Amino acid sequence: MSQQAPPRVSRPSFVDTRGPRMDPNETPGRYPFYWTRAIYSGWGRRGWGQSWATDYPKGDQQFLVVLKRLVRLNAYDWENAIWLDDPTLRRFPIIYAVEVGGMDMTNAEVEGLRSYLDAGGFLIVDDFWGQREWDVFEYNIRRVYPDHPIVDITLDHPIYSAYYDIEEVKQVPAIGRAMYPAECYGCVPYVKGIYDEDGRLVVIINFNTDLGDAWEWAEDPRYPLEYSTYAYEMGANMIVYAMSH
Amino acid sequence: MERIFEFLFKYPPLFFEQGDFTFGAPMSVRLWLIIVGILGAATVASYTIARGKSTVTDRGVMAGLRVLLLAVIIVCLLQPSLILSTVVPQQNFVGILIDDSQSMLLADENGEPRNSFINEEFASDESELLRQLSDRFALRFFRFSDVAGRIDSPSELAYGGTHTNLSRALDVAREELSGVPLSGLVMITDGADNDDQPLAESLVPLQAAGVPVFTVGLGEESIAPDIELGRIEMPRAVLEGSSLTVDAVITQTGFENSTVPLIVEDELQIIAEEMVELGPDGEPVVARIYFELEGVGPRRVSFRIPPQPGERVNRNNARSVQVEVRGEREKVLYFEGEPRFEVKFMRRAVEEDENIQLVVLQRTAESKFLRLDVDDGSELEFGFPTSREELYRYRALILGSVEASFFTYDQLQMIADFVSERGGGLLLLGGHGAFSEGGWQGTPVEEVMPVVLTSPSDDPQGFFAEVAVTPTPAGLTHPAVLLGVEQDQVRERWDSLPTVTTVNPISQVRPGATALLSGSGEQLALEQIVLAFQRYGRGKSIALTIQDSWLWQMHADVPLEDQSHETFWQQMIRWLVDGVPEAVEAVTDREQVEPGESVQLVTNVGDSSYIEVNNATVTARITSPTGTVEELPVSWTVQRDGEYSVEFRPLEEGEYEVEVTAERNGEALGSDKTYLYTAPSDDEYFSASRRTQTLRRIADETGGQFYTPEDVSSLPEDIRVTGAGVTLVEELDLWDMPFLFFLLLMLMGGEWGFRRIRGLI
Repeated sequence: MSQQAPPRVSRPSFVDTRGPRMDPNETPGRYPFYWTRAIYSGWGRRGWGQSWATDYPKGDQQFLVVLKRLVRLNAYDWENAIWLDDPTLRRFPIIYAVEVGGMDMTNAEVEGLRSYLDAGGFLIVDDFWGQREWDVFEYNIRRVYPDHPIVDITLDHPIYSAYYDIEEVKQVPAIGRAMYPAECYGCVPYVKGIYDEDGRLVVIINFNTDLGDAWEWAEDPRYPLEYSTYAYEMGANMIVYAMSH
Repeated sequence: MERIFEFLFKYPPLFFEQGDFTFGAPMSVRLWLIIVGILGAATVASYTIARGKSTVTDRGVMAGLRVLLLAVIIVCLLQPSLILSTVVPQQNFVGILIDDSQSMLLADENGEPRNSFINEEFASDESELLRQLSDRFALRFFRFSDVAGRIDSPSELAYGGTHTNLSRALDVAREELSGVPLSGLVMITDGADNDDQPLAESLVPLQAAGVPVFTVGLGEESIAPDIELGRIEMPRAVLEGSSLTVDAVITQTGFENSTVPLIVEDELQIIAEEMVELGPDGEPVVARIYFELEGVGPRRVSFRIPPQPGERVNRNNARSVQVEVRGEREKVLYFEGEPRFEVKFMRRAVEEDENIQLVVLQRTAESKFLRLDVDDGSELEFGFPTSREELYRYRALILGSVEASFFTYDQLQMIADFVSERGGGLLLLGGHGAFSEGGWQGTPVEEVMPVVLTSPSDDPQGFFAEVAVTPTPAGLTHPAVLLGVEQDQVRERWDSLPTVTTVNPISQVRPGATALLSGSGEQLALEQIVLAFQRYGRGKSIALTIQDSWLWQMHADVPLEDQSHETFWQQMIRWLVDGVPEAVEAVTDREQVEPGESVQLVTNVGDSSYIEVNNATVTARITSPTGTVEELPVSWTVQRDGEYSVEFRPLEEGEYEVEVTAERNGEALGSDKTYLYTAPSDDEYFSASRRTQTLRRIADETGGQFYTPEDVSSLPEDIRVTGAGVTLVEELDLWDMPFLFFLLLMLMGGEWGFRRIRGLI
């Protein structure tokens, strides 16, 4: 699989423009896989309510470069961000949402995410820490699925062996926090999930961990190999699992 | 016409057909020719000399008429006659074969049953026909239906036969009367043979023995008004929950262009009903009806059209078909060359289908595979099967986006053999690694594909097009494409589905293949073949050239409750495994017989590689409706590799279970089960109109005659001149035929009239 040409437009700004953030000259469907980031309303470190855009787009591009070397995946090489209430979202059966501790979805986004998951979509959640951010995320996801329990995804789940055999859930730190990985006091990493009525895993939640930073900074010699390795292993497993289950 | 002939020529046409023409005058032919020459020359000379007012033409015409007149007189003087062999009275036998089947009780238009002719002409002492026959011949009576045999008199006929076998009747009569001088056979029947025995095999010995058959056709050539439910095209085994498409052939007379309901019942429960529009009189229509069968086991599915007002025969409005609903989990291998969402959504679509086990082998990296829904850790442990034994465990194979170069040549050949030899179903999906784009051109599998591959696109980005999918006319009636909606809504449903994409431009199917779905789009120069299939060897291959059918589930335009995607894939995979043979497969030659009728059980035996086995020990265990078990050895037929057969006669009425097991050197090769239903047949009420063509053929090919009740009175005299049996030679004078007298008068009158017209008198 050869390197694809970069998008022929300038990067989208982080202002609140609607519509997909993919190269407008690209037709969804040309490639079997698009690494798609969920754009949701909220607040965050990036200002203007842009917590969704953490590590964007470098993290996404870097993740794709490595992922395509690890997994035989015919993927679009570039980032693809899309609003949760955009109907085009349903063309991308896996979406990635980060820093959901700053999430504040509109009703349309809640509806969009619910119908997306009900139709067969899969949501990967990452990079939020501590009880406060958990509460924010839980409040938002409860608006989508009020009655579906959030459960621990224990190590006997097939997602841990879909590609790599993962035997331990690690706490992946952000860049510069290798010595003290946790971003909150006493935080323990969890992998949790939500199942639909038919028992299918539709949401996977990486809590108290930051896989995205590991993907983004894997090439930085200061970033610990142990964590970037784990992050890529987990990333590959989540994608292979979500594309087959 | 025949009477006029007989008046003019003194004898019926049959006499002229049978007899030899001769002249009885004593002198030699040469002398007569000399006399004719002299008289002719004298006549011509007299007209030439006596000119008068006449022209040359006048004299020519008159001379010609006079010469003809002289010729007729001379022919009469030559004493023409027919030499005919006629049977010696009371020294010859005639076999009278009377149809004893149920159809003889059918009433004709006048309300009289067909057998009333038999009662009047053959069972009554007052019958003139019977008297004349008895005077000339010794009569021997036979009755026939599915069997045939001697009877002492027609009063023994019961008209209870459930089949008519004309061939067997002729064979039995010929054999029984082979030791006596036989003048001929008289066959009284409607001719509605419903046995498969070829007639020619029975006619040839009769021709060789010189025994003419005189056929008397009873009944009408067309029964009207009447509706008949003819052939039902339905598989003998289906997977539980499969959508069945069944064709029923309906013929009718007198109900032109009317609409009647066709009802399908399973165990007295109506499971489907379809209104069928009938065509012009006499033209069969094919009604297609869809339904599902629930519950595993043998079933009797009934099809019926309620009797219509005024209909003459009601018992030909219903038919029953024996079908086995199988409950096994059919194992299908889906090999995908890369992670693709087709895997996820196809699995979701069929996960609730208990009869489908979709085993997924997905290549996630070079030599790294994800296995899903395998039976155990050893299944597909080393990736795609490398032996036939391993691959042939599956009943169908789905190949996703995987390039041909992934496989060894042996594996490619094995995939082709999987279809042609094992009889499996092969489904090829579109994708970057599929078809031409995946380098499949020139491989053994290309031959199997139902589509024509062209060179891949030169565009480094590859071909890509969005496709709006629509069913072809053939697809509109195919169960895999119906999406679970009524037939008239199929196109509308497809049109409502979102566009999908393809990276494989394919616009042509192979000769013999059928396209079921086609596609169009702005980026497509030619219409895209989306779904096509063909039979290949023992199996079938299907091509689905799109790469993201999952959009029919996931796309925002598709309502969440829409089941199109699930239905499509469930039906596709069921179709893929439908009819795929087992290594050991047993089948009876008929699904329903009458008690006591013989049944041929044929079993095909192969090993795990589906190579035919000729040295197997094959046993049939036959369980009757009351539970009696009989075990029969099934023997190799010798004519075909791996084919074993045995004949048996089920005596009880009801459902028989036949289980066949095969083993070789103590090692089990496999087993299969089939079912048979025994019940009295209604066949006599189907196609019960008179078969004049058949009866004429029997008569013509044996030198006999065909009659109807209206013209049968000449039968005794006709048999007399057939020449079979003990005969004597009769010479019949022809010089006094009225025709010759009229001819003389015409010639004389003609000359006189000519003279009057020309003023020569």
